[in-house]
Amino acid sequence: MSKEILDTFRRVASDPMGSVKAWKQASGQKVVGSFPMNFPGELVHAAGALPVLLQEADDPITVGHGVIYPFYCGYTRSVVDQATKGDFEILDAIMFGDHCVQLLGAADAVRIKAPQKPVVFYQLISSMNDPWTHGRARESFVGLKAELEEQFGQIDAKALHASIRLFNRNRKLIRRLYDLRRTGRISISARDMQAIVKSSMVMDKATHTAQLESLVSALEAAGPVPDRRHVRVHLSGHFCQAPKPEILDLIESCGATVVGDDLFHGFRYISTDVHEEGDPLDALAHWYMARNTGVPCPTRVQNDVDWDGFLLKAVSEEKAQGMVVLMAKFCEPHMYYYPEVKHAFERHGIPHLLVETEHEGIPMEGLKTRLETFLEIVRRREAAMA
Amino acid sequence: MNSSVKEARKANKLSSTKSAGQLVNEYWEMVFRAKQEGKLVCWYEGSAINPFLQCADIVWVHGEAYSALLAARHLEGPAQVAAEEHGYLKELCSYARTHLGCVVSNQRLKNDSDSDVVNWADDQSLATRLPAPDMIISAYAYCSTGQQWDEITARLFGKKIPIFNVSIPLIWGGKPDAGYLRGKEWEETSRYLERQLYAMVEFIEQQTKKKFEWDRLREMMGYVKRASELRLEAMDICATRPAPASFFDWIVSIAPINNLPIGPHLVDLFQSIKDEVQQRVTDGEGAIHNERYRLYFDGIMNWNKVGWLAEKFARYDATVICGRYTHLAFWQEPGLIDPQNPVLGMAQNYLVCPINLSAPFLIEKTVGFCRKYELDGMVIHSSRTCRAFTNPQFLLADAVTEQVGIPTTMFEGDVTDESFYKDELLNSRVETMLEAIDARRVSGTLPASTVRMPLVQRSVEAPIVVHR
Repeated sequence: MSKEILDTFRRVASDPMGSVKAWKQASGQKVVGSFPMNFPGELVHAAGALPVLLQEADDPITVGHGVIYPFYCGYTRSVVDQATKGDFEILDAIMFGDHCVQLLGAADAVRIKAPQKPVVFYQLISSMNDPWTHGRARESFVGLKAELEEQFGQIDAKALHASIRLFNRNRKLIRRLYDLRRTGRISISARDMQAIVKSSMVMDKATHTAQLESLVSALEAAGPVPDRRHVRVHLSGHFCQAPKPEILDLIESCGATVVGDDLFHGFRYISTDVHEEGDPLDALAHWYMARNTGVPCPTRVQNDVDWDGFLLKAVSEEKAQGMVVLMAKFCEPHMYYYPEVKHAFERHGIPHLLVETEHEGIPMEGLKTRLETFLEIVRRREAAMA
Repeated sequence: MNSSVKEARKANKLSSTKSAGQLVNEYWEMVFRAKQEGKLVCWYEGSAINPFLQCADIVWVHGEAYSALLAARHLEGPAQVAAEEHGYLKELCSYARTHLGCVVSNQRLKNDSDSDVVNWADDQSLATRLPAPDMIISAYAYCSTGQQWDEITARLFGKKIPIFNVSIPLIWGGKPDAGYLRGKEWEETSRYLERQLYAMVEFIEQQTKKKFEWDRLREMMGYVKRASELRLEAMDICATRPAPASFFDWIVSIAPINNLPIGPHLVDLFQSIKDEVQQRVTDGEGAIHNERYRLYFDGIMNWNKVGWLAEKFARYDATVICGRYTHLAFWQEPGLIDPQNPVLGMAQNYLVCPINLSAPFLIEKTVGFCRKYELDGMVIHSSRTCRAFTNPQFLLADAVTEQVGIPTTMFEGDVTDESFYKDELLNSRVETMLEAIDARRVSGTLPASTVRMPLVQRSVEAPIVVHR
């Protein structure tokens, strides 16, 4: 059974827009595409539409390069390319809520290149520990709700509470998988973990959750495959876009077992639940702020939270022996914070490897050599310390 | 003797802007003396919050201005190397990378615990003279990079320096009532930013442990308002032919209006600039000696290349008259400033900086400038590490071509990292655009407003060699 469910998730993850089209044709319901990474899908779900996180496409970027420069991150370029090609025709609206300078550029390009498509804009405050952060975040969600209601009709509190409960259940189930993998009670590849999370960003949440319930049970019952004495690694980075599955496969085929991550197409996405009681908009504002203390994000600023400290703790709890940093080329927030992480890991004697990824792909043979060397260093270091 | 030295310069720079250079030097010397004089130092980027700091007797360091200064004097290299050695990748905003390189060096020199930076001359480098901050205020419009730059600066100083964040939302303009300086979004965002600025003043009072002198701010904003009006009036005069001043004249007078000390001398400076511009109109004197093309410059400045580019375009008989960086920035809406109650108007000027307006507003403004100054073409500086400026450039190019009917061209460069600059690409692309303008004049397809100059051979036949 788990194979069938995983096959469904893999299929959706490999062709998200195809899956959305099929869902829309079958259901006749509306679809709202969203930019990452802090989009409250619960609001769209409560409005009776399907929330879909817009994904980086596998296609080469063509006409999009007539709208945006090649020195932008792959996600930004791909979204602009898809909008320019008309790939977002299936969507009934696009939501935008971030402050990343590249994504802001993409939002403008999408608005102008897809003029018939409503682009709903709500800019979340990115300074996370000011006295007014919560109030401002709540105001943004109030504005977002009002704009959604203009498009899709009234969103009542009861429906929103139900959506919050459903989304929380979905997140809890995926976190359960993370816990089982970390503690060695199940075996699941990094590619499949990504497929589970990515499909959750795209599929109807109730359907996805029902299948997850079965998958978690089946995987728990099956137990782990025998330990092949691989090096335990944590995967870090890659915010808006999913790392290419081929890279994840290569990391594992070189002798690593991924035991944890803080990828957006990973633990970052499902790290935090929304309070199920009280004012739901208040709860969403709390959720937004709590996400950054739970899994600190370099796209926000918060002086009393440290991403490097979080990573050191995560690596320790996961008993990871090293960390592979996946950095999407041209991602400025990551470029800013990488030295913080680098120096912290060097101070603590934990090996890490920086891999810069590109939309167009990277030479895999070269990466293979770097990964093998990195894993060998980890093994020898551990042997020397034993 | 090098033959290029014999050639007379074609760029006819304003002489009144020379005093701006002196003001810049005096300002930085004041900054370098700050610690010895027991002054508090605040680092900030982006929005011109310096009037608040000057009123509080805090010495202010504008990060971009310092990086630009280093680049303009070709002293940016060691700071950029220091940043890269620390782990900052080359694709990161070079303003930030240069400035963070100064921080890294500052900390290394202070701690004396690390190896020297490659090619770093400690006793000579300008970058080593930057005093460490006592506080950081982040008030960056639009560009997420600015806010993160400030945060990382605080972290490089061990999170021991108090930091205050002012959040400045983008003016998106998605509602039916939205327009430039109007609509519900504009009103609400203005008030939101105004409230934060009052909170920022409370932060300043906490740092200085004294009451903020609002009367001083009122007085200063009176000077800023008047200087800005004079600056804009002088710019308006450049709609005449030949244009009496160029984009590059406005570039070299950015510092006084943006981040130098405020006082009556600021008004005097821009009065003298306006007077010279007006006199040139009377005398029929242009910003270049033989104006045949009138161009727009989109993008941030390439600070390593200010003089170089001014001369290059002049040798093409092209006056770069107007630009987004100069004409849509730096207190460009003085009418919003009420000196008796200045904070709201200051907030609104921060909001309408040339990157914080979404593309439809920028298109409206750019098309308006092209028509007002009767421009023949648009040159776009694709600054590699400044995405805030490059974001709308393809959209602007399309709009200008469609709505005004003039050609555009792009060249690669960067705000302070010279290695991204491609001189030959600029040459060939500008020449191609000018040829296209000529061809359109011959065929009569250029908009009538732009066909005024007699068609003569361009005076740019010899290769351009300019020594910096």
